[in-house]
Amino acid sequence: MLAALIRKELLVLGRDVHGLLALFLLPVIFIVVMSLALRNYYSPPLDNLRYAIDSRDAGAPAAYLAGQWQQTHGAALTLPDDWQAQLHQGRLAYVIVLDARLSDELQALTLPTTALVHLLAEPGIDGHLLNALRAELTGIAGEFKARMAMLDAGAPPPPPQASVTALVDAQRVATSGVRPTAVQQSVPAWLVFGMFFIVTSLANLLLQERTHGTLARLRSLGVPSHTLLLAKALPYFGVNLLQVLLMLGVGLWLIPALGGDALSLAGVHWPALACAIGAISAAAVGLSLLLASLVRTAAQAATVGPALNVLMAAVGGIMVPTFVMPDFMQKLARLSPMNWALEALLGVLLRGGGVAQLVPQLVPLLMLALVTGSAAAWLFRRRA
Amino acid sequence: MLRVENLGHRYAGATADALHDVSLDVERGRVLGLLGPNGAGKTTLISHLAGTLALQRGRILVDGEPLAHARQRQPTQIAVAPQDYAFYGALSVAENLACFAAACRLDGAVRQARIDACIDFAQLARCAAVRADRLSGGLKRRLNLAIALLAQPQLLVLDEPTAGVDPQSRAFILEAIARLARAGAAVIYTSHYMEEIEAIADRVLILDQGRSICEGPLPELLAAEGNVLRLSAPGLDETLLSRHGTVEPPDRAGAWTLHLAAGSTPAGVLSDLEVRGLCVAQIAYGRRDLEQLFMALTHHSLRDGS
Repeated sequence: MLAALIRKELLVLGRDVHGLLALFLLPVIFIVVMSLALRNYYSPPLDNLRYAIDSRDAGAPAAYLAGQWQQTHGAALTLPDDWQAQLHQGRLAYVIVLDARLSDELQALTLPTTALVHLLAEPGIDGHLLNALRAELTGIAGEFKARMAMLDAGAPPPPPQASVTALVDAQRVATSGVRPTAVQQSVPAWLVFGMFFIVTSLANLLLQERTHGTLARLRSLGVPSHTLLLAKALPYFGVNLLQVLLMLGVGLWLIPALGGDALSLAGVHWPALACAIGAISAAAVGLSLLLASLVRTAAQAATVGPALNVLMAAVGGIMVPTFVMPDFMQKLARLSPMNWALEALLGVLLRGGGVAQLVPQLVPLLMLALVTGSAAAWLFRRRA
Repeated sequence: MLRVENLGHRYAGATADALHDVSLDVERGRVLGLLGPNGAGKTTLISHLAGTLALQRGRILVDGEPLAHARQRQPTQIAVAPQDYAFYGALSVAENLACFAAACRLDGAVRQARIDACIDFAQLARCAAVRADRLSGGLKRRLNLAIALLAQPQLLVLDEPTAGVDPQSRAFILEAIARLARAGAAVIYTSHYMEEIEAIADRVLILDQGRSICEGPLPELLAAEGNVLRLSAPGLDETLLSRHGTVEPPDRAGAWTLHLAAGSTPAGVLSDLEVRGLCVAQIAYGRRDLEQLFMALTHHSLRDGS
């Protein structure tokens, strides 16, 4: 009996074109769009920004600074006459203005007190990028000053590879050695969103059964409530699993084909990934069953679930990563089940964590599944 | 087979009973026609038989056993074909039957045999692979009926099985129900269409505002109390008829009902009308229809809401 009811559920779901599009196509679109759109945010390509240098200093030190910069960032454009207007309009990313007194300052054995290198950027430039450019300019200027100081002190010329920048090493640490990219963040985020989106499909189908009398008919034939509920829940575990496989596939193959970075599964702890997906699916199915048991009209089925999903996603760091949120929003994010789910997946895919590392996310997800599933079962028995 | 004794039910928050002190008997091989206007309590009664409403007052016995026990022991011995199309529109006819056959706990070869038998009975073979939501109204009603027959129920409850169907499908369904009764099933048949009830029911129960106002064998109920003449004629009016007895207002078809006074006879009435130049178009003596019966009992039409 259970197998037949599951088959019925899968057939009905499979013939609900709109439902299928929402469950599978929508998250794919989000993953692709957000991975490609945020690619430069996570790995900003410094060498393809349009920039110019306004050098008002003809001295060698100023030329050294400009030359070092162009080695890293590519050749500067010829400074246009209307460079200020182009900056305002964003047609130039930034202009470096080298003050006429720069060379004198760079050669002086003192620390500067006045800005003589002006980094002027277009209004929409990312704050982190601006800071990075400024830090690099400061580093080049500092490097020159250090060499001047060594020269003045009579120290031997430093070897070619020696540099102040060699003093500091910075890297993102991950046990798997995976470099975080936009796709490494987007796939888990929109996968979680898609998994929780089963609420709309489930609620609609259950409401149809209630209003058309098929649920009452099954009950009158003596089909137990728990069988009816299981027959509703189990197919959606399957749907979630299919979503996982599809979204991972998108990350592995589709996004690279479109010019983005590939999702990396190197070093992934597979049991941990299975546990994370299982817990997320359980939470999603439980919550969906509860909402499906509560809604009484088609309008409610069409709005309550999606609205809740969007709210959980917005608060939980799906649409906007939590690390760009202010502190109080980051705390608020921890209340969203989608945040728990996202952190669980990031823990596996980004940080290479094992099951033990996922416990802080798995426990609330499973508790949510238990509470919502139990409430749904009680409501279902009362109202079916 | 089925005995309902003093059944009562009041919905939460309601100020009046949906059912009050309703009793009925249905034997195997018999059809009970359940009539009543909207809100009379038919659906509430059917819901009790379907097991979707908990018993509040009264008793429902199936072969002497309380309904709840009977349902627990054999849930499929009572089948309900609801008024709504209670099947899955996205599934084909065959898929719907397969799903509900499994719900009836039919397995393996038995399941397929019953599916085939029901498709054959309802003459759905040509559309077995068609999605249910693409069937015509008549075929949907047949599917609804076929699903109810999967487990070969001993009691079949049909809630307006011909609502919204064409005359051909209606005739098919009525004939099929009569065949089921002849085969030994007990049938409860609800409808707004008196002519259907008159055509197939052995007994009738009329509900109004949750109460049973009339119950018994159909022929006896329709038999006139005393001498009753029904007739229609152009130009006929109360004045002409009142000379021969008590006159009831004409029904929707324009037929007058005359309770003959002592000493008056149908032949005498007809002679009198003939002398006055009136040509009688229709005449019936000693019988009335369910609509008239209902009107006489409740003073409103069977099709009016309560």
